[in-house]
Amino acid sequence: MERSKKKLQLWKRAAFHFLLCFIMGFFTGFIPTSDKSWTFFGNVVASTQSELSMQPLEISSYHTLNRSLLDGTHRAVLMRSNESLQTGPSEQEQAEEPGTDKLSSRRLVIIVTPTSERNHLREVLLMRLANTLKLVPPPLLWMVVEQQSDSSQVSEILRKSGVMYRHVVFKENITDLEMEMDHQRNVALNHIEHHRLSGIVHFAGLDNVYDLSFFNEIRATEVFGTWPMAILSANRERVIIEGPVCDSSQVIGWHLKKQKNHTADTTKSPLHISSFAFNSSILWDPERWGRPSSIQDTSQKTMKFVEKEVLEEETEVKGIPAQGCSMILLWNLLIPTKHPTPPHASVASR
Amino acid sequence: MKLSALQLSNLNRRSNSFRSPLDSGDVSGKSPAALFWLAFHVLCCLISLVLGFRFSRLIFFLLFTTTTTTTTIYTTTPFRRAASIVTAGGRALPFSKPVVNYESAVNTTTVKASGVVVGRHGILIRPWPHPNPDEVVKAHKMIERVQMEQRAQYGVKNPRSLIVITPTYVRTFQALHLTGLMHSLMNVPYDLTWIVVEAGGISNETASLIAKSGRKTVHIGFDEKMKLSWEDRHQMEARMRLRGLRVVRDEKLDGIVMFADDSNMHSMELFDEIQTVKGIGAISIGILAHGSNSDEELDIVQKTVGGNKSSLPIQGPACNSSEHLAGWHTFDSLPYATKSAKYIGDKAVVLPRKMEWAGFVLNSRLLWEEAEDKPDWAKDFHNIVTSEADVESPLSILKDSSVVEPLGNCGRKVMMWWLRVEARADSKFPPGWIIDPPLEITVPAKRTPWPDAPPELLNNEKLTNIQESTEKRAPKTRAPRSKHSSRKRKHESRSVHEARSVDRHISVSSTVKE
Amino acid sequence: MKNWRWGFAGLVCFLILLRVEANEHRRGQQTERISGSAGDVLEDDPVGRLKVFVYELPSKYNKKILQKDPRCLTHMFAAEIYMHRFLLSSPVRTLNPEEADWFYTPVYTTCDLTPNGLPLPFKSPRMMRSAIQLISSNWPYWNRTEGADHFFITPHDFGACFHYQEEKAIERGILTLLQRATLVQTFGQRNHVCLKDGSITVPPYAPPQKMQSHLIPPNTPRSIFVYFRGLFYDVGNDPEGGYYARGARAAVWENFKNNPLFDISTEHPTTYYEDMQRAIFCLCPLGWAPWSPRLVEAVIFGCIPVIIADDIVLPFADAIPWEEIGVYVPEKDVPNLDTMLTSISPEVILKKQRLLANPSMKQAMLFPQPAQPGDAFHQILNGLARKLPHDRSVFLKPGEKILNWTAGPVGDLKPW
Repeated sequence: MERSKKKLQLWKRAAFHFLLCFIMGFFTGFIPTSDKSWTFFGNVVASTQSELSMQPLEISSYHTLNRSLLDGTHRAVLMRSNESLQTGPSEQEQAEEPGTDKLSSRRLVIIVTPTSERNHLREVLLMRLANTLKLVPPPLLWMVVEQQSDSSQVSEILRKSGVMYRHVVFKENITDLEMEMDHQRNVALNHIEHHRLSGIVHFAGLDNVYDLSFFNEIRATEVFGTWPMAILSANRERVIIEGPVCDSSQVIGWHLKKQKNHTADTTKSPLHISSFAFNSSILWDPERWGRPSSIQDTSQKTMKFVEKEVLEEETEVKGIPAQGCSMILLWNLLIPTKHPTPPHASVASR
Repeated sequence: MKLSALQLSNLNRRSNSFRSPLDSGDVSGKSPAALFWLAFHVLCCLISLVLGFRFSRLIFFLLFTTTTTTTTIYTTTPFRRAASIVTAGGRALPFSKPVVNYESAVNTTTVKASGVVVGRHGILIRPWPHPNPDEVVKAHKMIERVQMEQRAQYGVKNPRSLIVITPTYVRTFQALHLTGLMHSLMNVPYDLTWIVVEAGGISNETASLIAKSGRKTVHIGFDEKMKLSWEDRHQMEARMRLRGLRVVRDEKLDGIVMFADDSNMHSMELFDEIQTVKGIGAISIGILAHGSNSDEELDIVQKTVGGNKSSLPIQGPACNSSEHLAGWHTFDSLPYATKSAKYIGDKAVVLPRKMEWAGFVLNSRLLWEEAEDKPDWAKDFHNIVTSEADVESPLSILKDSSVVEPLGNCGRKVMMWWLRVEARADSKFPPGWIIDPPLEITVPAKRTPWPDAPPELLNNEKLTNIQESTEKRAPKTRAPRSKHSSRKRKHESRSVHEARSVDRHISVSSTVKE
Repeated sequence: MKNWRWGFAGLVCFLILLRVEANEHRRGQQTERISGSAGDVLEDDPVGRLKVFVYELPSKYNKKILQKDPRCLTHMFAAEIYMHRFLLSSPVRTLNPEEADWFYTPVYTTCDLTPNGLPLPFKSPRMMRSAIQLISSNWPYWNRTEGADHFFITPHDFGACFHYQEEKAIERGILTLLQRATLVQTFGQRNHVCLKDGSITVPPYAPPQKMQSHLIPPNTPRSIFVYFRGLFYDVGNDPEGGYYARGARAAVWENFKNNPLFDISTEHPTTYYEDMQRAIFCLCPLGWAPWSPRLVEAVIFGCIPVIIADDIVLPFADAIPWEEIGVYVPEKDVPNLDTMLTSISPEVILKKQRLLANPSMKQAMLFPQPAQPGDAFHQILNGLARKLPHDRSVFLKPGEKILNWTAGPVGDLKPW
């Protein structure tokens, strides 16, 4: 009898221990851990564990208003993904086929084209550029900027082109054509920044003509790329060639049009707007490139920022094509349209 | 989880079976039995720990199920997730690379209770952010396929071949103009033969350019140098086109002949529109006449057509109210009679001819010698081609212009533009547009790498040479930026020569010699 | 101690059970779908198959309300007005109530708009109640069946639940007086209080003329992979996020804003309709309610609808093969949207596009003025005709009462 009582006591104690352990286990379940070495539990447990650890990041409220918070959280999630990637089998699989299909690793090219109603050749030139871009192997995204208007000519031309494009419109009325162009480019850059599009950005004016290999070349751009371009003007003798002077793909200097008025004009970049390309991530992920993130505030001056960066960070600027950037792949036909003729130059008479 | 739970139950059962002899037997034998008992106790403790952990997870999920806040972050094999889309008849589509069982990967998350759930849901954000390149390729292939299908379904049925005749010659603006035209032609979804007639004989410059088109090209040399005056150039171009037509006749090329100057610009719709021509057709050309009045400015001449004040001048067929050819819109050149450019490079308005060749398309069979039942006007046409006489435009051959089919909604739709921009005739450009020797540096690179680079990597002798040459070449920039000048340098680009020689050897796909 | 042993065993069993149940539930959800028949039912002509009697109501129930706010003619819920107009001149209308199969009460319950144009359904229950009181006292037909052979158009967000917030709508449930009637509504979600058996789900109203005027040639190359314009977060009504669209729209934005294949934005361009015509996929995610006018737009413009709304009941699901023309993506799979869409074979895409090009499909989505054969009006009538003849059980015995006239929130009982 006593023995059984003792035994009961023993069992009670054991049960108490089990219960204690159970509760302990119960609560450890709620502690977010990132410890991946708990292999004892097998795969399933490991996955739930990491999942659990995500939760605090995940549940935090997402406001569109609070961009910084959003971005912060987002990045946190990304970091985690890399971590979990290392444990998953996917990495092995990826390593097994390291771009077996070279096509699949082609970079996105983002072509930004500002268009102004004041350019009387706008529709025709847009059509010509569309024909060229249609031939560029994908992925390519064409961003065409235009002032909001009732006219649907630009949309119609774009629509018929078959190119993947985004037609971005803005409302502001800007009198100075150059400033409007800069504003249009900024509008496009803001779009890229807002959407965090990742690719190589190039500003293609309507009066540019490209050799198709140009688009292959700029895909090689890591941070900044630059190349010489020919500027042709009607009825002139001289052909102006502007751009970098390179040793192999290393930029060692610039061949630029001399500034007429003052040599030390810092407000205007001497570089032609179409003579460089850059990685779009410098717009929305400046830290990645070791830059202060403060440019976010000056989104109105995004253009200036990019131009400044190209000139300042010359070590990161790559000459294109890689063989001493000696090949002209881009021609620019100078057609200034300053004169105040009636604005509605409709191409097709309907 | 199911697995581990099962393991546990097995363990439990085993422990029970172990326990039963313990229950009946005495526990007095302290050493091994007690030790075993202790170990067993610890094991059970561990098991309950695990159980507790699992239970808490379960509670956690149940908790989130009831409040329906889904919190899922996918962690396994991001790029190869095999998901299934239920399509027609509830069938799951077979995926190209089904690797991971999707359900097993997510089944630990939330199970939505049947019925209605109202409340806050998590925002599912996957940890792999950027588009998978393979999928991007797939998507683009899909778009291409869809566009192909659209063309097949709504486009021209049984399209005829196109024969494009282009007169050209080597000059500063050739690369710019010809590349633009070439890109239009490359987009044409029909069989196409491009006959390029080059003044001054076949050149590598032109050959290498048109070789990039990837289309059937016929490159013909024309043994005359291009003339300097616009008038002469125009006449010569007409003869060059006739030379092209002779090739069409001799080779019996079948299709629709169109004339495209290298400076023309085309809408892709044009190539569909001209498919409808039976004999000879006319299309409207938008005239982008310009004059360069000042050094900086290039005027686009504005003119009125049909009372529509702000539209570009048009040259082409005009119809009456019953949609029949009634006459021709022509470019009114009177206001520019005295101001028009005589020579290439003149800073004045370059005027189009009365009727540009580019505005006409014709069935190539009209040119064949033994084509039976040809109408009279076609015979004239044939004779002209043979004699290579001076022809202003196809219109001047025809005695009766009523045979011309007005295309493009009776010429109302403009799908082609005419622009003549040229540099001055004596303008020079780098051959093949390859810069050799390298350009001079007018703005020094701010951070040239060599001062920091280890000296052994560079040839000292060469360096000094380069420095000298830089100083010679860039004296202007040196003065204000003297502190930079010592850092300047210049390299001979060896690779340029190689690139160029390769470029020069691009073969012409087919050359017809006259 | 035995108890403990059993306790453990029981716990283990419990856990296993839960797992299994969870798995099974998931599978059930994926296969349980509306069976879509071929589209040939769409060509049915309802004339001669049913007769509808339209109650004559004082104009304060319909015309006066419309006069007060003509915007009701263009917003998403305009079907209630056009259906009334259509029935008045339709050959299925009968003036003799004795021979009628169906009775229609023309009451415009959702035509009460805020200055911003958003419909407020607060007065709707009282109005509906008042109308039913009127017809039940003036005609004998309501009391015969207590509404089982009557149909009502309730196109509001949550149908006859008459509230724009889902939580409140569920709380309210379908208006008591309408519980025996057939409801014609845009709202459709399986196992939802606000969708009763036998309801006819219809497309929301989209202006047909306006859509037609934006048609572009069908050979315009489709160059957008995925297209969406609309809200991702409804910050005003859902500052926390996660309530609106059950987080699905937010997930679309967060996962795919940086994907160049996804042309998604909150900005509504002037070329919205044109852009849909050059897109391959158009996202139709749920908003506050599972349905959206995008469904109609996608079908009209031949853009494959990607339906992200679990348990949605689609318009005329018994006649339109939604499974074959659209793509269903479960809300939980939104993060895999790109993978799912790119792994559909081009042949399947082209087949879906061909089906979408079928004019009868497009016709069934629209409420054109005047009505045309095969349009949404005719589909509603077809749906009503398929319910005939009425089961004998719909007719009550003399003196029998089923509906409780005094049930429901006190506010609804106030006279209108």
